[in-house]
Amino acid sequence: MDKQNAANMIKAAQAGDAHAFERLINTYYDVIFKFACKWCGNASDAEDITQDACIKLARFICKYDGKAAFTSWLYRLVINCGKDWYRSQNRHPSNPDALEYVQADSTSEQQIYAKQVINALYQLPEGEKDAVLLVLCQGLSHKEAAYALGCKENTISWRVHEARKKLSAQFKKEQDYG
Amino acid sequence: MDDNKRDHILKNIDTPAIDENAKKRALNLAMAEFDSVQKEKAVEKEKKFQGFQILSRLMGNSNTETNKRKRNAMEQRSHKKFIYGGMATAAAVIIVAGVGLNLAPNFGAGSQLTQHASIDTLSTGSAAPLNKGRIETLSQTRTESALVEQESFAPQPSSSPAPKEKADQLGGRKHAPQKKQAEMQRQYGMIEGKAVPMRSKDEATAARTMIAPTAPSSTNFTGHAHEADSMIALAPADIMPNHYQDVGRDKFSDFTENPFKAVADEPVSTFSADVDTASYSFVRRQLNNGVLPQKDAVRIEELINYFDYDYATPTDKSEPFKPSVTLTESPWNTGKQLMHIGIKGYEFTGEQPNSNIVFLLDVSGSMNSPDKLPLVKNSMKMLLSSLKPDDTVSIAVYAGAAGTVLEPTKVSDKAKIIAAFDRLSAGGSTAGAAGINLAYQLAEQNFDENAVNRVILATDGDFNVGINNREELKDFVERKREKGVFLSVLGFGQGNYNDDMMQALAQNGNGVAAYIDTLSEARKVLVEEATSSLFPIAKDVKFQIEFNPERVSEYRLVGYETRALNREDFNNDAVDAGDIGAGHSVTAIYEITPAGSPTMVDPLRYGKKGEAADQGSTDVSDDIAFLKIRYKLPKENVSRLITQAITQEKNGPHCPTVSLCDYGINPDTQFATAVASFAQILKGGKYTGNMGYDAVITLANAAKGDDPFGYRAEFIQMVRLAKTASDMQP
Repeated sequence: MDKQNAANMIKAAQAGDAHAFERLINTYYDVIFKFACKWCGNASDAEDITQDACIKLARFICKYDGKAAFTSWLYRLVINCGKDWYRSQNRHPSNPDALEYVQADSTSEQQIYAKQVINALYQLPEGEKDAVLLVLCQGLSHKEAAYALGCKENTISWRVHEARKKLSAQFKKEQDYG
Repeated sequence: MDDNKRDHILKNIDTPAIDENAKKRALNLAMAEFDSVQKEKAVEKEKKFQGFQILSRLMGNSNTETNKRKRNAMEQRSHKKFIYGGMATAAAVIIVAGVGLNLAPNFGAGSQLTQHASIDTLSTGSAAPLNKGRIETLSQTRTESALVEQESFAPQPSSSPAPKEKADQLGGRKHAPQKKQAEMQRQYGMIEGKAVPMRSKDEATAARTMIAPTAPSSTNFTGHAHEADSMIALAPADIMPNHYQDVGRDKFSDFTENPFKAVADEPVSTFSADVDTASYSFVRRQLNNGVLPQKDAVRIEELINYFDYDYATPTDKSEPFKPSVTLTESPWNTGKQLMHIGIKGYEFTGEQPNSNIVFLLDVSGSMNSPDKLPLVKNSMKMLLSSLKPDDTVSIAVYAGAAGTVLEPTKVSDKAKIIAAFDRLSAGGSTAGAAGINLAYQLAEQNFDENAVNRVILATDGDFNVGINNREELKDFVERKREKGVFLSVLGFGQGNYNDDMMQALAQNGNGVAAYIDTLSEARKVLVEEATSSLFPIAKDVKFQIEFNPERVSEYRLVGYETRALNREDFNNDAVDAGDIGAGHSVTAIYEITPAGSPTMVDPLRYGKKGEAADQGSTDVSDDIAFLKIRYKLPKENVSRLITQAITQEKNGPHCPTVSLCDYGINPDTQFATAVASFAQILKGGKYTGNMGYDAVITLANAAKGDDPFGYRAEFIQMVRLAKTASDMQP
């Protein structure tokens, strides 16, 4: 779906067009679910979070003001829903066992390394993890990521930097040992 | 360098595939929420009425946290528009008192249950205008009590100075953001008010009802009613806001009542047997809640067949039933007659066959209410008592995943089975895993050719395990049926009860569909009628009646709309039809117009009168109709035929075969007539003439008979409830 189409659809949904909203959910469900999955690392939790996010979307779609990309706005919604959801469940995201690194002709060694990287990502403090997710995994600009996390652009840059430093240190250490 | 590698990895993280079921559920929920948001907006646009807050505060929400927040938000508002708020409160209280008093006698009984005014036009068509009228009268007559309540409520907006002061202080500096916050809180409050702490997916069921503008609990029900009513009361008289309408999400297949048919056009009527009783229990539950059931929920034949009639039973297994026919005057239309055709299945006298039973239980979070999983457990334990020690039982559950709770176990090891039931608890989400597959696997694993192999499914709603397409599921069940594993369905709960699917499954699985609303219903289905529910004596039972145009000018089959068959299907053994268990009775009622009496359908002006007369021979001229029943024995695939001519002497009213009985001669016939009348009245009374609930009560009362379990007495009680419920309607 091209940008203009998407924008029209969002506008129509904001105006109360149920069909447009249905199309919107159909279109963006995948985006939401994939991101929720990456955010919490667990498919069934992600389904619940996505469901909540879709419901919230119904109520708050009119609040989207077009200042940032719709996906960034969605990510923000998903993160908030995810936090609420885990709070309501009284637990934290468990291991990211649903996530895999897909790369054709990757060796099993690379696979294991990838798994370690993903696990390490989930060991990071929450703010850093979210920043890395948005910037490195989703390819958002620092500005967009700042919008999605509701913080300053500098904070994102700093968090990504910190995260990189930590990851490097961790794997450096492992290399030293191993 | 490592950074690049890691970045590459992070960029290429793959997530699991999307579950289409989950997507659909989320879409449904989101659409429901979207609708309610739009409705709220429409209402807000019409008038800036702030009564929601005041009312929801009065509703006595158990969530104190939410309440507190709401109150804060409210106080900030009342600070601004204090006088309006007070007025609105006073107005609201009067209405609350009015409606409260109004609803109390009707909803009090079922207050812990979900209230769904059905979408039926009969029951809710325009409840709001009526309520308005009632509110006005009540608020006049009940001013006194309203004032008492007002006193207790009114001080609240003004008499909690501390938070208000705080609001004042803050209000000076941060007025705008605070207002925004209040707005947000209000919105969250709305969400939370409806979506209580259920989060799991399969609670699509539960959550859906909550998010939609339906009322999950009686408190909320009245609450919503108040909202709706107060809107009406406060809106300008010329604008009628789109009033609140409760939408039950129970799904029933849509059908219309059979019409009168001219014998000249269509002399043959064909239908399949139906021994299900789900419709009766569902109707009873709705009536106990004080609402009329939706019309599609009333399947007349299921109401009639809920009761046991004392028809003559054969003792021979090979011809498992014999028809008995009674003719009475029709109470609905003068000049018409009712032809009751009853069959009763042969009852086991000796040893009951072995059974291999798999319970497939829905244990998703939505089953976590007293009328669901606990009732399921108790019902299943009851069923154990009707099984033999040698029978095998296994338990499979589905929720977050499908799993085997109990491997096939002999009933003699009762303690183990009961322990397995007791361990079950509802919770978690429904991933919609392969529950039914697993159940069939268990049944096949322990398949016994000489036993009754049956899966018993107990669930509250959407059957979204594994295959969720209805047609696909039907085919799946049908294939398994051919292998010898049958499926029975027990429905529980309400609000999202998917009757449509349940019927389809049970019919294709050669089983019964029952709806369990109380423990006594469980007892009836699983203990008293265990043999009927568990052991089929005949399958694919079809009825075909050919009317003699010389004696009958038109006929109408009462009920069996969902079971109609084509004329050619009767002799086609491949066509599936209803099954009859040991001791089941099936009653079909035809309303017929004897030749010569005034007809509903105008006769054809250019009809072929001569031809019919030519064919009439002396032999058959006494026949009213000719009844044919086809059935297959459980293990056979070729059908057998029973035929019987229904004869009446032309001049003598008391012929040995069939006579025009007076009521009272046969109480069973009379009672069946009463039930049929009731069911038709519930469906709108298109064909019942002037007959009302009172006449049904009189008719049924006189025919109560022995009634050892009190079912008939309960029916009469139900008619009374229906009368009250219908009086509430406009």
